[in-house]
Amino acid sequence: MSTDDPACLDILRRLKSTDPPLWLAPNPSLSQQARTASLGLFSSLKPYTPQSPLDRLLIDGFDAEQIWQQIELQSHPLLSFLQREVKRFEKSGEISRFLAEEPQMKDILREAEDDQGRKEEEDVDGFDEDEAGASEDLDDDDEEEDGAEEEEKEDRDEVGDESESESGEEGDKGGIEDGFLKIKELEEYLQKDEAKKYGLEGSGKKKAGNKERRGIDEDESSEEGEEDDGDDDDEPGGFGVDDDEEEIENARYEDFFGGKRKKARRKPKVKDGSEEDVSEEEDGDDTENENEQGNHNLSTHEKELLSMKSKIEQMEKANLEPKTWTMQGEVTAAKRPKNSALEVDLDFEHNARPAPVITEEVTASLEDLIRKRIMEAHFDDVEKPPSLPGKGPREIKELDENKSKKGLAEIYEDEYAQKASLISAPSSFSDEQKKEATLLFKKLCLKLDALSHFHFAPKPVIEDMSIQANVPALAMEEIAPLAVSDAAMLAPEEVFSGKGNVKDESELTQADRKRRRAKKKRIHKAEEAKRMTTKSKLRTMPNPDEGKED
Amino acid sequence: MESSDASMEVAVASSDPKSSSLPPKPSFAPLKAQDMYDGRVQFRKVSVPPHRYSPLKKSWMDIYTPVYEQMKIDIRMNLKSRKVELKTRADTPDVSNLQKCADFVQAFMMGFDVIDAIALLRLDELYLESFEIKDVKTLKGEHLSRAIGRLSGKGGKTKFAIENATKTRIVIADTKIHILGSFANIKVARNSLCSLILGSPAGKVYSKLRVVTSRLAERF
Repeated sequence: MSTDDPACLDILRRLKSTDPPLWLAPNPSLSQQARTASLGLFSSLKPYTPQSPLDRLLIDGFDAEQIWQQIELQSHPLLSFLQREVKRFEKSGEISRFLAEEPQMKDILREAEDDQGRKEEEDVDGFDEDEAGASEDLDDDDEEEDGAEEEEKEDRDEVGDESESESGEEGDKGGIEDGFLKIKELEEYLQKDEAKKYGLEGSGKKKAGNKERRGIDEDESSEEGEEDDGDDDDEPGGFGVDDDEEEIENARYEDFFGGKRKKARRKPKVKDGSEEDVSEEEDGDDTENENEQGNHNLSTHEKELLSMKSKIEQMEKANLEPKTWTMQGEVTAAKRPKNSALEVDLDFEHNARPAPVITEEVTASLEDLIRKRIMEAHFDDVEKPPSLPGKGPREIKELDENKSKKGLAEIYEDEYAQKASLISAPSSFSDEQKKEATLLFKKLCLKLDALSHFHFAPKPVIEDMSIQANVPALAMEEIAPLAVSDAAMLAPEEVFSGKGNVKDESELTQADRKRRRAKKKRIHKAEEAKRMTTKSKLRTMPNPDEGKED
Repeated sequence: MESSDASMEVAVASSDPKSSSLPPKPSFAPLKAQDMYDGRVQFRKVSVPPHRYSPLKKSWMDIYTPVYEQMKIDIRMNLKSRKVELKTRADTPDVSNLQKCADFVQAFMMGFDVIDAIALLRLDELYLESFEIKDVKTLKGEHLSRAIGRLSGKGGKTKFAIENATKTRIVIADTKIHILGSFANIKVARNSLCSLILGSPAGKVYSKLRVVTSRLAERF
């Protein structure tokens, strides 16, 4: 199936005529048509790619991604070839003649120029974005020209952009540009900023130049709608490993990352608009690829990479060498250089609390404490523990240091006598005093005990001859000071001198009272009678002293 | 066996009637002093050291009287030989009197007082002990002098203290030491003196003395 085939053309036409909104929703019939169309295109392009591994586009059972990659496989080598052809074409100047003949093409050219200008100002940093945008454009172009569409485009988020670009022309970015936002100015500003940042103004412009070139190429090769340079950049590995491809890749890489003197040269040329030396520069780039080192005009990224490389080399070398002594495990003094431990900050575990730093404040606080303590008289003296009470003082026998007055014989005599208990032991001086003291104390105790009956101790029995009155024991033992106690020595019954049942006045009955009265009367009468008789006797007796003088 | 036993018994039986014919046990009266040595007179001679010569002269009567009167021993001083001679008499009651008197005189010669030495006459169980300082510890020169000084103490107070505590009499004659007293007391006194010689201070000796004498006193 090829483009010559009317069926294929028909399909293409149909695809072209479908409404844009229809593409938004996944449509199996549309996708099938798109597949067949792409198949036709593929086979039509087949004769131009002799080295392509695929004979025909395999559609059945393949998903969008796979089909897309098949197309890419075919288009990669073609693209570079076409670009070169176009350049040659340009140089040869045939285009101007061609344009002059056809006004249609003029319009196209103008648009292309606009597009090219816009693409000049494309942002350098946002490669992916730009390339994505460019790829979008190309894809859109693809759609436009070939009418082939992949399902993955439908799934992309940039459907809106696609539709915009679809509706708009190449030069127009859809509805992005308006009075306020100018993509061109934006690109210029971004470039300047970058230049300031990295200090390499040339690099930005170089990239711009690259972009320019690509943009032109894009324009030129819009018919084919092949993949973008951006895609190539994204996939540095690439599929079609072609010398031309490589060269183009390398050139592009160098444009961005490699510092080339010729780029500077290229810059003004590009600005002038003449691209005659482009292909030469490309070749020059190839040569420069090999002589990359030692160039001063390296881009920042390249410089960074260089420095990293050198660092890596350093580190690898260090790893190969033996480690420094600080990194080794146990190191004795012999293994490390002299006095090297002084330079290193060694960390020790200190188990003891560090000694306190004596500052003025510390001493002042101590002195205050001392003063306070002295004023309070609160000292931490060690006091003797109180000795246990209860232990009486031990008797210390005194040793007489004088010459004994007694002779030895007498001493033994006395000893013998004592043993035989004939004579009591002669009391020593201390004994005498003791005896006197005990005697006095006993006297005192006696007196004191008498004051309190309850704790009275009886007189100690002294073995000596004393007359003991035969009085009842009570009289002997009970000693009570008369002043205090009026308890009689004798018992009440001993004191009582009466007999019979004694009754109290209140207890007397009437008869008892009568009897008592009668008794009293009788006694009284008897006494009176006696008195009377004695009186009469006295009166009658003669007085012996009567008649005496004096 | 039985036959031999029977013969032995027979032998024993035969000896029994013989024992009755033995003479009765002799009974001897105690010997008198004279009889002990078959009526011969006993002598003792005690030499008088030169330094005890004049004290002997001073207290001769104190010595002579108890010896002659109570002990019934003849005593005389041989001026030429410088010896005190003792002799038993006919009426010396006990054979040991002579020895006692000899000991008494000997004690006096050693340096003891008469009143102290008299105890030897009166009590049986008193003994004399003599030893030298060098027996205890070899001391020379100043050490020796200091040891002697330690023994006596200041004014003899240490010596008296020991004497009083142990009921002994001590005589320190240069390097010789004589102790008079009963056996146990002599031991205690000797121990104290030895400790003093060996160097212990007097206070320590006193404390030990106290302990020991109290124990001794308790016993009786």
